[in-house]
Parts: sequence; C-alpha cells; structure tokens
Amino acid sequence: MVDNKTLQNKAREVISRDDVRRLIGWKRGTFGFEAAPAVIKDPSGADDLIFDATCVNNLASFITLEEKPPVPRGEEPDTRKTAIMVKGCDSRAIVLQLVEKAYERDDVIVLGIPCSGVIDRRKAREMFGDVAGAVEATCEGDKLVCEVGGEKKEVDRKELVMDKCLRCRYPNPVISDELLGDEVEKFADDDFSDVAEFAKKSPADKWAFWDEQFSKCVRCYSCRSVCPMCYCVECVVTNLRPQWTRRSTDISENTAYHLQRAWHLSGRCIECNECERVCPVDIPIMTLNRRMTRDVKELFDYEPGVDVETEPLLASFNPQDPEEFIM
Amino acid sequence: MSEEFEPNIVAFLCNWCSYAGADLAGTSRMHYLPNVKIIRVMCSGRVNPLFLVNALQQGADGVLISGCHPGDCHYLEGNFFARRRFTLMRNLMEHVGVDPGRVNMSWVSASEGAKFQDVVAEVVEKAKEAGPMDQFRRRQLNW
Ligand code: FES
Repeated sequence: MVDNKTLQNKAREVISRDDVRRLIGWKRGTFGFEAAPAVIKDPSGADDLIFDATCVNNLASFITLEEKPPVPRGEEPDTRKTAIMVKGCDSRAIVLQLVEKAYERDDVIVLGIPCSGVIDRRKAREMFGDVAGAVEATCEGDKLVCEVGGEKKEVDRKELVMDKCLRCRYPNPVISDELLGDEVEKFADDDFSDVAEFAKKSPADKWAFWDEQFSKCVRCYSCRSVCPMCYCVECVVTNLRPQWTRRSTDISENTAYHLQRAWHLSGRCIECNECERVCPVDIPIMTLNRRMTRDVKELFDYEPGVDVETEPLLASFNPQDPEEFIM
Repeated sequence: MSEEFEPNIVAFLCNWCSYAGADLAGTSRMHYLPNVKIIRVMCSGRVNPLFLVNALQQGADGVLISGCHPGDCHYLEGNFFARRRFTLMRNLMEHVGVDPGRVNMSWVSASEGAKFQDVVAEVVEKAKEAGPMDQFRRRQLNW
C-alpha cells in the first residue's frame, strides 16, 4: 500500500501543473470507518490526502457529477484536466465511462493505487460498535491494524473487508497514468457462488425475499446518485414526461424502480458495491447486479470496464447470441 | 371464482414482420386467442425492456415481444439488439421471482400467420399456468 507521504507529494506535483484544474482524492473522515472524498484545487490541500483501508468511496462518480453551467459570452470554457485517485474497482468505472464516451481520455489524469481491500462499515460496526472519532486502518500482511479511539487493534483482514474485496479480480488499477505503490496480489477468483445459491430458490421464495426488501425502499435514490455509471443528466426515474415510475413508495413502484436500476446497469456494473454501501435501509442491491454480471459473462462472454477498446454490451451484438427462450 | 382465469397478454409486434404476420392470420381467418392485445411498434428494437415492467405493473399477465427473424429486420439489426436486451431482462425478472413464462419473445415473419396463432396459444397457456400477475401490479387507489 502506498504511504501517505508519497501520495501527498504526488498529489502536490499533479495539482501544481498548469493543465490540472482539480484533484479528487480521499481525506480522513469525521467519524467511523469511512474516509471522506476530497476535491482539492491548489497545492495546499494536498496535505490532507490519505489512502488506507477506510477509503471506500468510489471517486469516479465525481468526475461526471460536476454541473456545467453555460459559459458567459466572451469567456472560454475551462478545459483543464481532472486528476483522480482510483483503486482497482474504481478504475474499471473510469474505463467504462471512457468506453461510453462520458469524457475523453485526455480530460483525466488517473492516479492508480493498488488496493488490498477496504473496510465494510457494517462489519466494522458489528465488531467495534459505534465509534466516535475517525479510524485509521493500515494493512499489514494479512492483518488490518485499526486505530480505534487511540487504541491499536489487530484484525484478520478477511473478517473486516467488504465482500467485494474477497472476490476482487482487479485490485490493481486497470487504467492509470501513474501507479502509486506496488502492485498487490488478488485475493481470489470470482466463482459467483452467491448467485448460484440464490438461484436455487423457488420463484415464490425469491419474490418473498424481494417483496420484503423492496418494501423497505424509501426511494431516496442514493444508490443511483452514488453509482459511477449512473451519470445521465436526466434520469429515467425522475423524469415526469414520460413518467416511467410514479413517485409513491409502494411495492409496485419500488419494484419497478429497482428493476429499472438493475436493468440500466446490466453489462455496465463494475461491482464497486457503492449502491449497497450507501443504502440507508440495507437493501442487498448487489444481489441484483451480481446476477446480471454473471449472466453477461456467461451468455455474452463480456466483462465491463476492463478494456477501453470494447464496445458497450447493449450497443453491440453478435449474430450468434444465445436465443433458447425465443419461440 | 368458477370462471377460468383469462390472462391479459400485451404483444409488441414489429411493423414489418410480426404485425403483418398477425394480419395475415386475421385475413386468412385463422382464429387466434383474443387474450392478446397488440401494440404495433416499428421494430422489435424499439421495445424498451421497461415497457415490459410497465405492462406488468398496469395489468398484463404476460408479455410477448415479436420481431422479424434474425437477419430479416427491416432496419437490419434491430432484432439483434432486442434479443440481447430481452435475454437479460428475462433473467432479471426471473431473479426477482417473476415467472419466466410471463416474458416471451418470438420471431414471426410476415408469411407465418399460422406460427403467430401457435405462439399466441403458447403464450396464453404459459400465462395461465403462472396465474394472475399480482406481485407488483399497481393497486388501484380508492379515493
Ligand atoms: S423491423 Fe421487424 S424486428 Fe426490426
């Protein structure tokens, strides 16, 4: 893992460049096991930046989030670059955004950071309870050393990191202009056993499960807002004409919303787990996305966000695509 | 309820093949089941998978999307895109527990009136098996 000094020096160097407008990174959060995103515009901000196992946020969503008001007459638009720090999974979001031409490759400077897993705040909460101050967590081999309230605690890395990290195939950024720190080994391969397990249920059981989950949804749209791949200026779920989903939070509209969300991410989900992390009512959103990921891989042999040269899955086709269910 | 359940089927037929196929079935006086409500679209590639969710919300018990045979699409490749989309959408529906028999797709060309008849019969049969769609149908508000 990269040490913070190197990271800060690099950030200072990058943000001092004339052609860089802003740099997006992480800084220490205010409490608990999550770092906070930081956007710095001048070199003085670089001292705050950090990287450790608390840096869960996928910063790729911030590149497209910026509002672009019309430029006043007589002024030139600001075309300077955005620099961004990415973990392995975040870098896949960048690749996919490039594939979809959300921006040009020249518009971003990618500072890749090999990552050895980030902390799941839900697991951490079970282990440590509510923590008042910000926690520092460094990775040492197979252990995570967490500084909770001035006390150092060693935990097995496998017990505290997110599930996505346990099956992460791309801990090293797949795209980067500069790599900070040494490359790391991946934990394991993804065998989609969780998806296979869920698929064994009967349709009635599946619906009973989702009925309960979707009923909890308050439609805050956090999962959409945090998703690096949901960057449409006008979103289908908030559109009033045509209105695809009504705004009431009943089971019908909630299901429609979640189907829409999952559908729009099929073949595009890069499994950063952000949707599930931010959900205030703990809906296992990734269970939907994982199924899509598996099917996309099995049926079309496609993996989103690993290669800038590929075409988006649903904007391309193969005449030999499977069609067993078609009459 | 003593009466047999009669499912509502919404069919999205492409203008150039399947709609003409259905038309042929009609003009040659083949009887196809009246459960199916046909919506004409210009191409099966026009059908947004969200139509399907919306149809199920609004009272359909099954959905049929039908287009030209692969390679015969009037717009050359619309049905190839549609095929990918609905393969995925069907799997997604199945994943949340919607009976996969409610989501159907077929290739019916303009000369296949008889095939259209069979397809409709099969779709209705499957929807009958699956029963009324009550999972996430919109509840009518009673003000
Ligand atoms: S025109 Fe029939 S499927 Fe495209």
